Amino acid sequence: MEIREIIFYIIAAFVLGSGIMAVSTRKIFRSAIWLLSTLIGIAALYFWMDLEFIAAVQIVVYVGGIVVLIIFSIFLTHKSGDEMPKIAIKRKLPAAFAVLFAFAFTANLLLHNSFALSATKSFDLSVDRIGTLMLTTGDGGYILPFEAVSMLLLAAMVGCIVIAMKIKKEEQ
Amino acid sequence: MLSFENISHGLHNWLSAIMSETPVVLIELTLVALAAITLFAALGLILVYMERKVAAVIQIRKGPNRVGPMGIFQTAADTLKLVMKENFMPDSVDKFLYKLAPFVVMITAMLILAPMPFAQGFQIWNINIGVFYVTAISSISVIGVLMAGWASNNKYSLLGAMRSGAQIVSYELSAGFAILSIVALTGSLNLNDIILSQQDGWWIFKGHIPVWIAFVIFMIAVTAETNRAPFDMAEAESELTGGFHTEYGGMRFALFFLAEYINIFIVCGIGATLFFGGWMPFHIGHWEGFNHVMDYIPSSIWFFGKTFFLIFVIMWFRWTFPRLRIDQLLNLEWKYLLPISLFNLLLITVIAIKGWHF
Amino acid sequence: MIRFLKNYFTEVFQAVKSLFLGMKLTGYYFTHPKEIITQEYPENRLTLNLSERFRGEVVMTHDEQNEHACTGCSACELACPNGTIKIINKFEINAEGKKKKAIDAFVYHLELCTMCNLCIQACPTDAIKMAQTFEHSVFNRNMLTKQLNLAGSKLREGVE
Repeated sequence: MEIREIIFYIIAAFVLGSGIMAVSTRKIFRSAIWLLSTLIGIAALYFWMDLEFIAAVQIVVYVGGIVVLIIFSIFLTHKSGDEMPKIAIKRKLPAAFAVLFAFAFTANLLLHNSFALSATKSFDLSVDRIGTLMLTTGDGGYILPFEAVSMLLLAAMVGCIVIAMKIKKEEQ
Repeated sequence: MLSFENISHGLHNWLSAIMSETPVVLIELTLVALAAITLFAALGLILVYMERKVAAVIQIRKGPNRVGPMGIFQTAADTLKLVMKENFMPDSVDKFLYKLAPFVVMITAMLILAPMPFAQGFQIWNINIGVFYVTAISSISVIGVLMAGWASNNKYSLLGAMRSGAQIVSYELSAGFAILSIVALTGSLNLNDIILSQQDGWWIFKGHIPVWIAFVIFMIAVTAETNRAPFDMAEAESELTGGFHTEYGGMRFALFFLAEYINIFIVCGIGATLFFGGWMPFHIGHWEGFNHVMDYIPSSIWFFGKTFFLIFVIMWFRWTFPRLRIDQLLNLEWKYLLPISLFNLLLITVIAIKGWHF
Repeated sequence: MIRFLKNYFTEVFQAVKSLFLGMKLTGYYFTHPKEIITQEYPENRLTLNLSERFRGEVVMTHDEQNEHACTGCSACELACPNGTIKIINKFEINAEGKKKKAIDAFVYHLELCTMCNLCIQACPTDAIKMAQTFEHSVFNRNMLTKQLNLAGSKLREGVE
């Protein structure tokens, strides 16, 4: 086995292990931290694939944004430090079935399709290229979704500023 | 000529000559890790000493002056004391997270060090998305603070952690905009490209007033992001008895303390790279002779000189301004810094497109 | 809207200006190490430079004839909030055969004193003052109880 593969299996084991811990721990805050390490593990997988931009986006969006949001809502929740009650067996069974089904479904897909390894690197993900693609109007361009999302985010930010400014007017 | 670039290349060539590729990579990884840890320890000692001296002189005091000449061994003695101390842990903490939190903060600081160009051709990882990588990883460090605040099982710690969370999440925006304005001018995220684009003058001189505004906003935002006074709401000794590290002692506390100084070093290094050209010597346009003279000063000295100057400025802030209240802090971000940096970014983009910079 | 923008920018300008003002002052101190007022005490014990208002302990002033100005009125004793001062009076018979009040012992408990200066303000004849000595540590607590009037001293002529 090559070192590259060993690293892959280590990262995969880390992602799976912390994923299992995230759903099985009975402390809500620990659960959030395990979720965080799952997401970081996925970012590590992207780094392993040399997709640095995607990896950084993964960290910014999920770690810096969503997990912090989750942790904040845990902080603001009453009695969130207590252990959660044990889950009843009748709720465990359907969950186990769902997991089994999903596992069987994925395994089925994996076994019935062959994944050919291409010798050439199939994607060029330099930031220049991503930027150009984002703003291309022609084939393979993402100008419409990009602009829609950027308008949404700008509106959200301006909204924040307007709300912040308004309170001050009332004070005066 | 002896430079960091030559040393590292020579070492690599020598190692490659005597063994195969895999052990070379492993040995080099170990060496890099050792070098990073050594740098951390040295920085911790130097910066704490520097902070105490700067604070003292600004407050018309002498500062540490007993341990060694001018008190230079004071921080070493302090570190020794912290190492010898018992690693006390309160009874009702979440033990796993309590132990993990200082390491999260520390590892994050180590990760951000990777794309930092310390000297010409001397960098741990020449990553293509340098600046973006730094922004991304630095958002993890807030998790360490939140974790410490929660695990301590103390209401002051929790309050400190929440303040720090709100603060870092909001100030990341204006820091990001300030960074983006330089990215807009250079058209690259790679820290080396950004430095090379300052061959004929640093951005702070080339980019007119908008870059100055961006620089000021960057300095304010990173001071807030590193939780330093006047934005040290997370610690706030006088109201939260130490905030998120109230329950920490001994070496665990020292790790938080060290991480704070490492973070200052890193953000100042990034600031120096973006606005003052990193290791690029002081060049003026096409004055070949002058530029050539400046090149005689080694690039590492330029980098560390600029970085330490910015660190001094941040320390200067700390010992001049009183602490902000949490609502004033958020007002400053959302009512002043963010709108101004949005317009400033627009202005800089226009400058970059029209090529109005020098 | 225009007024709002004007206010906004004046506010920003004022804020930046005041911050720079603060930084100018601290910057001045940073670049002028001569301003440092720290005394490195044990080394410069002989050349120690204490500020004028520093208060170390209460002493009674005596002139060359070993005379003091204390009439024994015990205003200081009444003024002292901690009972630091205790005045023991005696009655002397002077030349005209009259009895006259004079102090026998001005007892001062340094261990109780907070250097509040109230006794000095209360004294009508300026007999006591604050000295700048501060090396008071001794091995026995009794040594902190002092008698301020020197042995054989007497009231200066003309002080009532």
